[in-house]
Amino acid sequence: MFDFILSWLILIPFIGILIILGIPKTQISAIKLCAFVTSLIAFVYSLFLFVLFDNSTSKFQFLEYLEWLPSLNLHLFIGVDGISVFFILLSTFLISVCILTSWNSVVKYEKEYYICFLSMGALLIFVFSVLDVLVFYIFFESILIPMFFVIGIWGSRTRKIKAAYQFFLYTLIGSVLMLLAIFLIYFEAGTTDFQLLLNVPFSEKKQIILWLAFFASFAVKVPMVPFHIWLPEAHVEAPTAGSVILAGILLKMGTYGLVRFSLCLFPDGSVYFTPLVYLMSIIAVVYTSITTLRQIDLKKIIAYSSVAHMGFVTIGIFSLNLQGIEGSILIMLSHGFVSSALFLCIGVLYDRHHTRMIKYYTGIAQVMPLYTLFFLFFSVANLGFPGMSSFSGEFLTLVGAFSSNTLVTFIACLGMILSAAYSLWLCNRILFGQLKIHYISNYIDMNKREVAVLFPLVICTLWMGIYPEIFLDVMHVSVSNILEII
Amino acid sequence: MEFNFNIDWIAAIPEIFIIVIINFFIVYAVIYSTSPNLGYPIIIRNVTWLGVQILVFALLLNLSNPMTGVIAFNNLLIFDNFSVLVKSVILISTIVTLILALDYSKYENLNCFEYVILMILAVTGMMLVVSSYDLIAMYLAIELQSFCMYIIASLKRESEFSTEAGLKYFILGAFSSGLLLFGCSLLYGFTGTTNYQQLFQIFSTIDKTVDIEVSNAIVLGVLFILIGMLFKLSAAPFHLWAPDVYEGAPTSITAFFAIVPKIAILSLVVRLFSYVFYGLLLPWQEVLILCSLLSMIIGTLGALWQKKIKRLLAYSGIGHIGYMLIGISSGSIEGIYATFFYVIIYIVMTIATFSILLSIRKQGNLSKLKYLNDLSGLFVSNPQLALAFSIVMFSMCGIPPLAGFFSKMFIFISAINMEMYFLAIIGVMTSVIASFYYIRIIKLMFFDSTTKINNLSPISKENSLFLSVCCLFLITFFVWPTPLALTLHNSIVYLCV
Repeated sequence: MFDFILSWLILIPFIGILIILGIPKTQISAIKLCAFVTSLIAFVYSLFLFVLFDNSTSKFQFLEYLEWLPSLNLHLFIGVDGISVFFILLSTFLISVCILTSWNSVVKYEKEYYICFLSMGALLIFVFSVLDVLVFYIFFESILIPMFFVIGIWGSRTRKIKAAYQFFLYTLIGSVLMLLAIFLIYFEAGTTDFQLLLNVPFSEKKQIILWLAFFASFAVKVPMVPFHIWLPEAHVEAPTAGSVILAGILLKMGTYGLVRFSLCLFPDGSVYFTPLVYLMSIIAVVYTSITTLRQIDLKKIIAYSSVAHMGFVTIGIFSLNLQGIEGSILIMLSHGFVSSALFLCIGVLYDRHHTRMIKYYTGIAQVMPLYTLFFLFFSVANLGFPGMSSFSGEFLTLVGAFSSNTLVTFIACLGMILSAAYSLWLCNRILFGQLKIHYISNYIDMNKREVAVLFPLVICTLWMGIYPEIFLDVMHVSVSNILEII
Repeated sequence: MEFNFNIDWIAAIPEIFIIVIINFFIVYAVIYSTSPNLGYPIIIRNVTWLGVQILVFALLLNLSNPMTGVIAFNNLLIFDNFSVLVKSVILISTIVTLILALDYSKYENLNCFEYVILMILAVTGMMLVVSSYDLIAMYLAIELQSFCMYIIASLKRESEFSTEAGLKYFILGAFSSGLLLFGCSLLYGFTGTTNYQQLFQIFSTIDKTVDIEVSNAIVLGVLFILIGMLFKLSAAPFHLWAPDVYEGAPTSITAFFAIVPKIAILSLVVRLFSYVFYGLLLPWQEVLILCSLLSMIIGTLGALWQKKIKRLLAYSGIGHIGYMLIGISSGSIEGIYATFFYVIIYIVMTIATFSILLSIRKQGNLSKLKYLNDLSGLFVSNPQLALAFSIVMFSMCGIPPLAGFFSKMFIFISAINMEMYFLAIIGVMTSVIASFYYIRIIKLMFFDSTTKINNLSPISKENSLFLSVCCLFLITFFVWPTPLALTLHNSIVYLCV
């Protein structure tokens, strides 16, 4: 049962897709149930990955190998280490959350919708477990197809077409540069196998070019500040579950790529460009936090705050020390929980009243106490309150960054203050105050399903905030290994 | 120069079979269709299936040809692994095109059975082009296939567009044939031979420093031949006929033009320029690089503004030719391999596209689709079809993990291998721009459904069969790409010495 655990994890969603394809279009509840059960099985199965993981070694585990294109020396090589195992867990977890959350809110083309999400689940596991740069590119890019459809078909407004275009073209332009860089690597080294490439020394000049090409792709995906235009658009127009996937996992593909490929393969390039990344990150943190303050759309607020948090992540990664990188991985995970949860909360409001303008919501605390509890909890988690998951991550990141650059740390700390400002102001505006009865008169609090969706996220957030050691233990050896390479 | 009757005739048996059987075929069709006793029956369906049968037999003969590596008929024709592969692809794609066109002919009342016969003759020409081993044989074979294609371009006699397309195609095609012939005669005048092997021996030992004038004339001849080929391939800047011909000809003929001839001409280009004229690599490589750059740019930018489906496909074809030429211009065996990989996957994608376009119709009056906007709302009326079309479009713009990505990947690998970075970067940039108009089609089908709904009828059984097979190939190709890669490798290795 545990021999080919990664292959099974990839196959399970595909089996689910095949079953769904066989169910007639009219039996919507059967489709939903099948999709949810499949994703749940994948999640439970991926937990075994975590349980069986041996955290005393930095080697890749659960390795599987498939001769793929022998004439070009390209092979499918999958395996996980202490970093990628979390992202696989996060993907399987969030895919089931997404499917559960769109239970009633998706009302057209349900079959295609769940097929899109399940296929995204399978592709994400590929992305995070593949150990070949070219194959990584292939799956990194292939997520575009289902996501393009999710934004375009199930998005909420007419602007969604522009959003889908922007999402598609921004990502494509960034990543084709990475493709050319991968070809260069292929001709330099004769292989694109990640583990072999670790032993190939690239000259410093080449590393700089290659690093820039990879960075172009990852920076669009993260997104770093000049390339972030697509993100608020895509978030606002996507359905709730699409936003959750986008914020929860797709953004992490960029930062995961930075940790896994940019740092390990081009250490000289990374050191050379650290000031650039710092500059872009602090601009991201400060600028987007301030931008957040003047948004009127609930989803845009969370979208911009995502950009700010990803700024923290990149600062942490390029502090190039143990605390910084571990902290940034923690932020990625915690952001995966917290921002997803916030999008889910907004989805709850949107499902009921079909608007996301802040203007219409005030004083919700009086009529939706349960909702207020969750929303306040996650807002507080988002601003990095001690005891919540973001705090442990941001603290470690800032500690790491402090030892390499004090000024950057100082400015990044400003970002924390600003994030407190916008989070609390947002809570203040929509949760408290007088009810605007003339806009919305009947409020219904969260139902069982919505609580069931959000409650696991509460547990994860608290757990990671109170006892992050259990996560750090697993990633410790792998991160030290990366630092040794640098 | 001996003429070995047995071996020569056995080696050329697929072509001979087609030529012999087509005589009987014409007689049969003419007698049957003009028979007053039967009431002048419409025999297009019957003739199509018989034509398919002929081609299937030819394919079997071709595949089971015992003679490989034979140079036959006084060194006029060559039969090797490479020609067997290319001929099989030509035959299979023609079979598919014939079957796809059935539905179209039925609805458009295109009841002239002659086009089937002309198509099969054109295919014979292409098979001879692939096998040619002498400039004269090459020229004659090219003319055979071109003449048939001029006629079928103007198949719809009463339509102004169609006759205009046929005339345009004929004039420009004749012009390019003239250039080709001029190039051949220049070569013959300065070398005294038209045989590929002898030309190869001359060029591999040619010393340009000794005899500058002679070698300049030879270079001129080679370039004329190249330009003649680029005309036939519709590579920019010799592409101007393509959009008009694609648009004017009936769609079933457009499908034939888009799917079949490219691989034949490309295989000739490869045989001539990567083998015979390889000694003159530098001059023709520059021209090819320039043409591939222009084709990619013009193909992409031209397609951006098109409103008609067929013109868009013509421009996208020009763009694809640009990518294929990158592979040949790299002058390496990886490049040739990449080109043929590309062209085979391109054929699959084009078959899928045309299997939709030839069969899909508006619900009410069953009129054909002309404009891109007619596709809007396809997702509402026929979700599976829209999904399949979008897969083809994503594959055309090269999004992994679909097969189109791999074809582009091999092309870029070969370009970077030969350090043609500029070409690779332009190629990548144009492929990003090209994705814009491909996803515009997807946008039309999927997202415009709320504003305007066209009711579109479902497609016929044969077409949906081919469509699903092609889509399945495009999706699952990445799981196991080795068989196609190995087959191509084995047949191309023998080509270059």
